[in-house]
Amino acid sequence: MLDRRLLRNLDFITIFVTCMIVAVSLIIIGSATHVNSPSEDRYWYVQRQGMFALVNIVLIFASLHFDYKSLSRYGNALYAVNLVMLLAVMFIGQSALGAQRWIQIGSLSLQPSEFSKLIMIIALANVLDTRTGKLNTFKDVLPIFIYVGIPFLLVLRQPDLGTSLVFMAILVGMIFVAGINTRLLMTMFGAAIALMPIFWHFLKDYQKKRLTVFIDPNIDPLGSGYHIIQSKIAIGSGMIFGKGLFSGTQSQLNFLPENHTDFIFAVIGEELGFVGAAIVLLLYLVLLYRGIKIAGAARENFGTLLATGITSMLTFHVLVNVGMTAGIMPVTGIPLPLMSYGVSSLTTNLISIGILLNIYMRRQKIMF
Amino acid sequence: MASAAHVIIRKRVVILFLFVAVIMFGLGCRLMYIQFFKSSWLAENAIDQRIRDIPVEAKRGIIYDRHGRELAVSVSTESVYAIPAEIRDADETAAKLAAILSLDGDKLAAKLKKRQAFTWIKRKIDVESALAIKKLSLPGIGLTQENRRYYPKDNLAAHILGFTGIDSQGLDGVEMTFDSYLKGRAGSIVVEYDARGREIPYATHRFVPPVEGHNIYLTIDTVIQQIIERDLDRVMKDTQAKAATIIVMNPHTGEILALANRPDYNPNQFADFSPKLWRNNAVSNTYEPGSTFKVLTTTAVLGDKVVKLDDRFFDPGGIEVQGRTIHCWKHGGHGSQTFREVVENSCNTGFVTVGLKLGRDPFYRYLEAFGLGRQSNIDLPGEAKGIVINKNQVKPINIATISMGQGIAVTPIQLITAVSAVANDGLRTRPQIVREVKDRAGNTIRGFETDVVEKVVDAATAKEVKEVLESVVKNGTGKNAYVEGYRIAGKTGTAQKVGAGGYMPGKYVASFAGFAPADNPQVAMLVIIDEPVGIYYGGQIAAPVFGAAIKDIMEYLNVTQRLEENGDPEQVDPHVIVPSVINLEVSEAMKVLQKAGFNPRIEESGERVADQIPKPGSRIPKGTHVLVYTLTPRYGIGSVTVPDCIGLTLREASDILGQVGLSISPVGPGSKVAKQDPLSGSKIPSGSMITVFLE
Repeated sequence: MLDRRLLRNLDFITIFVTCMIVAVSLIIIGSATHVNSPSEDRYWYVQRQGMFALVNIVLIFASLHFDYKSLSRYGNALYAVNLVMLLAVMFIGQSALGAQRWIQIGSLSLQPSEFSKLIMIIALANVLDTRTGKLNTFKDVLPIFIYVGIPFLLVLRQPDLGTSLVFMAILVGMIFVAGINTRLLMTMFGAAIALMPIFWHFLKDYQKKRLTVFIDPNIDPLGSGYHIIQSKIAIGSGMIFGKGLFSGTQSQLNFLPENHTDFIFAVIGEELGFVGAAIVLLLYLVLLYRGIKIAGAARENFGTLLATGITSMLTFHVLVNVGMTAGIMPVTGIPLPLMSYGVSSLTTNLISIGILLNIYMRRQKIMF
Repeated sequence: MASAAHVIIRKRVVILFLFVAVIMFGLGCRLMYIQFFKSSWLAENAIDQRIRDIPVEAKRGIIYDRHGRELAVSVSTESVYAIPAEIRDADETAAKLAAILSLDGDKLAAKLKKRQAFTWIKRKIDVESALAIKKLSLPGIGLTQENRRYYPKDNLAAHILGFTGIDSQGLDGVEMTFDSYLKGRAGSIVVEYDARGREIPYATHRFVPPVEGHNIYLTIDTVIQQIIERDLDRVMKDTQAKAATIIVMNPHTGEILALANRPDYNPNQFADFSPKLWRNNAVSNTYEPGSTFKVLTTTAVLGDKVVKLDDRFFDPGGIEVQGRTIHCWKHGGHGSQTFREVVENSCNTGFVTVGLKLGRDPFYRYLEAFGLGRQSNIDLPGEAKGIVINKNQVKPINIATISMGQGIAVTPIQLITAVSAVANDGLRTRPQIVREVKDRAGNTIRGFETDVVEKVVDAATAKEVKEVLESVVKNGTGKNAYVEGYRIAGKTGTAQKVGAGGYMPGKYVASFAGFAPADNPQVAMLVIIDEPVGIYYGGQIAAPVFGAAIKDIMEYLNVTQRLEENGDPEQVDPHVIVPSVINLEVSEAMKVLQKAGFNPRIEESGERVADQIPKPGSRIPKGTHVLVYTLTPRYGIGSVTVPDCIGLTLREASDILGQVGLSISPVGPGSKVAKQDPLSGSKIPSGSMITVFLE
């Protein structure tokens, strides 16, 4: 069983913030979906999300028993599982909204790309662990690029531009902390920007449209611009104190699409106003701060890298998702961590938090 | 473990945190911008998206004649609208609707695809179409109640009533001048919709009821209006004139009892008529009144006592003014005559003499008092002012010609108002067209009192003028207006029309202005015939129209017949109810009417009675004339077949067309009809114009 001393080292702030976010999430999902619930039960979504949150929390506490360090041993194996899973999606996956992202298992539709983010972090932390401080030349980083590049391309093929960009964010965050030569990093950024047009060429038409339309959503208000416009209207009409829970007209009346998943933050903006949205952002800031704090406090590099990867992933999610609902980021279908409805996403994020807790708990070498 | 790498890592972790903090701060700023600074705009947007207004038109007020007969009513009808956001399949919807409403499907589809909250598809459709559309119950397509204006008497009083546009807004006539009373206030149905266009139950769903318009009671008497319109039709047919106008006024109150022009139009289909026909000549036309104006001159000179009725004049056949000779209309002159005879004979020489004797300033004082040169302020649109030469520029020659009604231009309404002032003991009243505005409950919203504008002349002088005008009809140029049994006063007029570069040869305006009974006038009337073909003297063609109309009007108004000689009013017969003879054989009708104690008069030579005046059910004295018409009712609903006129003379063609209710428009110099348009056999609405080409 878990050591008492370890339990005393638990990061209660992270636990509190996480629980707060999940609680807000359940309330907002309820508000957003009770009108359009697919079943008789008006709170079907809430119950489902709540149930998975509970299951995950139990699992996390159980997993705290194991030292996260053991994950490094499974790094490459997980990496292989990840590739198999992504390939499986390509062949047996369900397509929805123009992309093959789901695998149906019983009543569960799983989104492997969600899990693959975390797997990527673990695998990459394992690979970088031995290379910290030795990332000075292009030759040094090339194998890492290939290592990340393969799953990246598979996810991009699904197509899931959002998740593939999360891979990039994780990669950049982790190699940065792993001590990559600053000049090399800059050069790579420059090259990436230079290669943008080629990358652009490989995008699907709708992806291109999404990327351009956010600059001026009014060029296609009923098409690609619709989400952005509706989301901005919803947030803006919430003003300072919001319209109150369950009374956001734009989200309740279906003007706002995907209101319980990708655009849940717009519901918060409309119903809880600036005050509510700012508090939620503050919760995320605290969570991310804890993530970085944990990265700094980690016992060894593997833990630091792991925490960095997780924090990078969460940061990127928050930035792109909130930015998207506020009309400053293109619509890429990235959920708001711990907030958006979605079992795969919730599970991934809660496990990530669990790993953070695990790292923090074991920040000191414990003598047995 | 504190390796160099580890130090770098720690440093980088701090940098990473700063980076995250900046991101979160940026997001916070963005939120603040949207929710603080752009919020009101975005909030409005939110309301726009889900609130839709469906207009509900107010029922327009009814226009009645003075006795409450309906002249303009609003009939409920339905209009189709679309809320494009709710339409599922624009092309299919458009195709279905286009088939029912006979619209262009492609254009409609384009309209339905447009990004707009609300659009009309077709306004005021018929019942079958509305029913068919209701049955389809297409999403995004709805029907709302609107009103279509209907003028049950078609052309009757068209120039007074005017017409309304598609939004039921008054566009002409009383519909326009009293629009603010008639229109009411439109209501709306406010409906809240969700993004899929479903109405939200229990949400904002208000009905803002429309406020119905007020009803208007005109001063017009439908029967008198029918009488003069019938007479106008007849005179148009007989004289082939370009236009004609009759105005009947109550001289004491200034109320217009009837007013009509030819050519006219049917306000139910006003758009099918040339806008030229919409023009209400009675108030919009200015013309040289000619000798009818001598009524005013007579009043002025008698009022200022520059001449007495028995003063003698000598007319050598002309008079020289400022080196120009003005000829009397009678070649050789009238010789020695009293002023009374001058008026009876309408002697130009005499009028010029007295006019000059009166002088400029007094003359202009009277012109002003009679209301010339400015609008009479009747409540009808498009009123002209007339033309009076500026007083400071007027020369004796102008005074001379104005005395006999030339060199001055008046509107028909101005002239009838002036003549009415004489009939009304010298008091000029504002001509009125509306008696009362009432709300739906019958409460008076606005009443119109007799509005005496000015005292033109004293009652004694007015009496003198009335007398002399009576002798004009009895002994002078107005003889043709004489009707046995009534004392009629009036003055004829024949004026050559002024065109570019002077008087136009062969183009005259024949007119007659007068009132009856002469001693206690009940009605004043003006008849104007513009460009008659053939005989053009007012005394010859306008006076008989005046006489015929005044006789019927007097009979209708139940004025006690009074013979001037013995002064004894005849024993008034007991009143009887007029039986209906409509649709009877003429001979049968005659029998019925005679049996009831009336004096029937057949007005047309048909077989079956189409109309009668007074109308069935009226209560009138025994022995009164009942006019029986056999022509098909004018401009009856439905269409007529155009007869073949080719090879006929103008007169024959005009007769044939007249019999089926069509009017004729001759073109060309010849005498026989060579071509006609539309062709014979075509079906057209009765009352339409047939153009015949003469060779």
